[in-house]
Amino acid sequence: MSWKNIRLVFLREVRDQLRDRRTLFMITILPVLLYPMLGLGIVEMMLTFSEQPRVVVILNADDLPTSPALLDQSGIGEEWFENGAEETSKLRVLAERTPQAGNEEKSARRPRRGEKTDEELLSVAHQLAEKIETLHGLRPVADESMEATATPQPTSAESPESNTSSAISSADEKAEAASTEAKLTAAQDDISQQFGTSGFQVLVIIPKGYRAAMEAMQREIQTSSSATTGVDAKAIATRVPPVLVVRNSADDKSMVAFGRVQKALQSWEDAVRKFSFEQAGLPKELQHPARLAWIEVALEEQVAASVWSKMFPALLVIMALTGAFYPAIDLGAGEKERGTMETLLISPAKRVELVLGKFATIMLFSTATALLNLLSMGLTGQQMSAVMSDGMANRVSLDFPGLAPLAWLVILLLPLSALFSALCLALATFARSTKEGQYYLTPLLMVVMGLTMFCLSPAVEMTPLYSVIPVVNVALLLKGLLLNSASSGNLVVYAIPVLISSIGYSMLALWWAIELYNSEDVLFREAEKFDIRMWFRQLLRTKDAVPALPEAGFCFILILMLQFVAMTYMKPDLTNGDPGLTMMRLIVIQQLTMIACPAVFMGMLLTTSLRATFRLRMPSITAMALGVGLAIVAHPLTVELSQFLVEHQVFPELPESARQVMGLMKTGDKPTWLLLLVFAVTPAICEELAFRGFILSGLARGGRLAIAVGISSMMFGIIHMIPQQAFNAALLGLVLGLLAIYSRSLFPAMAFHFCNNAIATFHAGEGGRIVADGVFFSRDPDGFLRYDAPLLILCAIAGTLMIMHMIKVVIRDQDAKRRGLVPDFRDLTKGEEVIA
Amino acid sequence: MIRVQGLFKEFDDPRSGIFRALDNVSFEVRPGEIYGLLGPNGAGKTTCLRILSTVLRPTRGLAEVDGINVVRNPEGVRSRIGFMSCNTGIYDRMTAWEMVEYYGRLYGIPEEKLQARITEIFNVLQMNDIRDRLGGKMSTGMKQKVSIARTIVHDPPVIIFDEPTSGLDVLVARAVLQAVSSLRDQGKCIIFSTHIMREVEKLCNRIGIIHRGKILAEGTLPELADKYQQPDVEELFFDLIQRREEEVRNSGTNSEA
Repeated sequence: MSWKNIRLVFLREVRDQLRDRRTLFMITILPVLLYPMLGLGIVEMMLTFSEQPRVVVILNADDLPTSPALLDQSGIGEEWFENGAEETSKLRVLAERTPQAGNEEKSARRPRRGEKTDEELLSVAHQLAEKIETLHGLRPVADESMEATATPQPTSAESPESNTSSAISSADEKAEAASTEAKLTAAQDDISQQFGTSGFQVLVIIPKGYRAAMEAMQREIQTSSSATTGVDAKAIATRVPPVLVVRNSADDKSMVAFGRVQKALQSWEDAVRKFSFEQAGLPKELQHPARLAWIEVALEEQVAASVWSKMFPALLVIMALTGAFYPAIDLGAGEKERGTMETLLISPAKRVELVLGKFATIMLFSTATALLNLLSMGLTGQQMSAVMSDGMANRVSLDFPGLAPLAWLVILLLPLSALFSALCLALATFARSTKEGQYYLTPLLMVVMGLTMFCLSPAVEMTPLYSVIPVVNVALLLKGLLLNSASSGNLVVYAIPVLISSIGYSMLALWWAIELYNSEDVLFREAEKFDIRMWFRQLLRTKDAVPALPEAGFCFILILMLQFVAMTYMKPDLTNGDPGLTMMRLIVIQQLTMIACPAVFMGMLLTTSLRATFRLRMPSITAMALGVGLAIVAHPLTVELSQFLVEHQVFPELPESARQVMGLMKTGDKPTWLLLLVFAVTPAICEELAFRGFILSGLARGGRLAIAVGISSMMFGIIHMIPQQAFNAALLGLVLGLLAIYSRSLFPAMAFHFCNNAIATFHAGEGGRIVADGVFFSRDPDGFLRYDAPLLILCAIAGTLMIMHMIKVVIRDQDAKRRGLVPDFRDLTKGEEVIA
Repeated sequence: MIRVQGLFKEFDDPRSGIFRALDNVSFEVRPGEIYGLLGPNGAGKTTCLRILSTVLRPTRGLAEVDGINVVRNPEGVRSRIGFMSCNTGIYDRMTAWEMVEYYGRLYGIPEEKLQARITEIFNVLQMNDIRDRLGGKMSTGMKQKVSIARTIVHDPPVIIFDEPTSGLDVLVARAVLQAVSSLRDQGKCIIFSTHIMREVEKLCNRIGIIHRGKILAEGTLPELADKYQQPDVEELFFDLIQRREEEVRNSGTNSEA
């Protein structure tokens, strides 16, 4: 591989992109201009935006007590609000009271056109007050918190079903109740409507004689506390008539205003309480008996960091992806469209060199886009926070996070960019035209955004499992590091798996791109008209002996979807009858219908040789022995590996359903043959037919057996869904695939699968009667049989030997085929027998 | 030196199953001669030439350029050939000089030698006025010249032309043909595909008539005229094509019966 060529291609592509004015604009000018423009726009809007003050009408305000005074000259006193003057400016209080001298100018407010004058507001308020008091009188206050709704609550007097023994016996009374009901409904409709058009958002009705009653209460408390006779405190308190505060919860404006008024009134009530306590000679600490104190430990910069820790990862991901995508389209499908692809392909540069040169170009643009956008956004944010009004700036500071997080940002951008660049290049090469390429952007963007959004939720944290999932790992790491807190120091340890796995994925994507560059099919594909009838007909007409690659893929997807269906629709009814038997029946049904049937039906429909597809040949004795032997040898290794991973929290705990199934395997009351049938025989047959039969045969058509075995094991793992089982299954899948290819038969694989499951069942069932002897076996605290190092080493050696033997034989066979000594499986198209 | 023996190429067509583009094609081209591959559209000319340029891989058979197998050592082949077809375009945002220079560098020509070489080519092909013109701003004729320059910048011993005059006007086509002819005079081994009789008559030393993937006849013009008793190339061509069509139709009806 010549670095010189890669550099040549890279430099040419970069220069080419930079000569495109559109690209330059998108990448440099747009971000630099866009964010300041947006920022300016937002500031403009904020300046022109002024929250209209909400109107609160207080009727009969003269009857409010004077100390503590709720109202001052202009409205509700500033001291009752948390944020003082700022909040009072948001509420316009129209209090019905005798004007004090010198206040005439202030109270006479000229209304704007369309608004009601103060007199109109007050008159409407009076009307409403009357109606509400009537309604309120009809229904007494239910609970102590004085919460009442104007809408009817169903009471026993109304619901016909309950209390049939109560007074509703005669038709007259029923009719009366019905008419009262009708009157009530009509009344609240009326009130609701009028409130909506009233022009004010909250109505406070101070009852007549409120002040007098309050003063009387305070006097009585004072006198009664100095005297020691028993006093009916409740009687005193309830003599004060209630203040009605009316609002409409369905209306946002009313709710907002109500929120403010409620807080003010509550702090006023606190002051009244304090005053009363003082009057009563009670200690003021009694007001807050629980003595709660709220303490804040976040530093201001930490609050600011929180804003960026959410925004930056998401933005980084979007920018890196879009920055990669458009150049990729140009360099991939665009080359094909413009007719320069063939010119490039006949140059002496290797395909690898072409791909790497293009990849480097795309990565450059992706990183540059992301960085420029973030820089521009950060600076704009800082500028904006300087311009914005004080109130908001106090709560959220948009200053840049420190230097260290910024450095992490740049470092983590690189693997992300690499992954996206490689992926986009591969997709763009795969596309037949630039239009088709652009269509690939939307689903890619959705998937990536979905993953990022998932990461931003505070509940999601970095775990070993997440540190190797693409996109998620970088987003989580970035989020954690940007939080700037002490705990982010621990996250640095995850940087290694994140970087390595990201590089690994990039390399996979690059490898795919190189494959595409080597595939004449992709390079010279022209847009076709897709006719579904023709496609279907052709599918059924041209049947090969074994399935084609896409058919294998489709089989897998079908099985996966059926599993989902099973999860939602086939919830076992574990209450009737024997739950154990029900679960077992369910397992067998699932295996047969959702794994074996799709594979077998597809085989019958789409292939000409079931024998070849499902490898139904007689294996050699050696092969069977290897199958059984490997199963025995693999078991202790897999058990210990699983335990190790669980202990190190690589995988989460088993979910409930899995534990149930495990529990079933333990129950001693089930006959052995039944357990074996359900947990060993059925999966051995069904899963092997599907994964080492149909799917592996299809994947092997791609030419590379190692990759076919790898992919079929991954699929096998994914089907198991639970991470622990999935990992286990994937590993065993590799061995099973190798067995199937080596023996050219499905039966050794089935034997392995059967033995493995059977041993596992016995192991779960308390490991039979094996006694812990301290050398090979031991028991852990839960009673599980565990395997010690000497046994593990023996098993590892035996297993390795067996596997290496099989690999050697397979390679020898492949070599013989390549040299033409044995017919190639590619001669399948002529209907010859497949060997692999 | 080009050698093709028993070459087969099959494509998977969703509509009709396997499509055989090349059916047992064999021919040779020696240095210093122009071999014309003559055939109607869809005959397999482009496929054959693409295989020679290593862009496609044969299903079966042998193809060698200068003794190097196209399947076993494609890079070796590519550094020894120049290839030009209507599908090998030039970049819109590169000037003529930059384009030829880029390919010269990819071919590994050392820098000073490259500059001298490009100057020479531009002089010979009379391209000095478009030296700094961007590809997107060139006329078809200019683009063809740039393509030719790109094709020969590394002085390859074997040059492959796939319908190089398609879509060109008379004057430009003539210039192209003159360039091809002078290359032959330099001792290059040239294979040239076309469906225009005049070009064949004027340029080619030997021709191969190809139709539906099969070579129907091969040899120098006098040889063919003698063999088929038909001095006019055009008539000869049509006769052979018709005969082949009948064969195909008969074999089709036979298989149905």
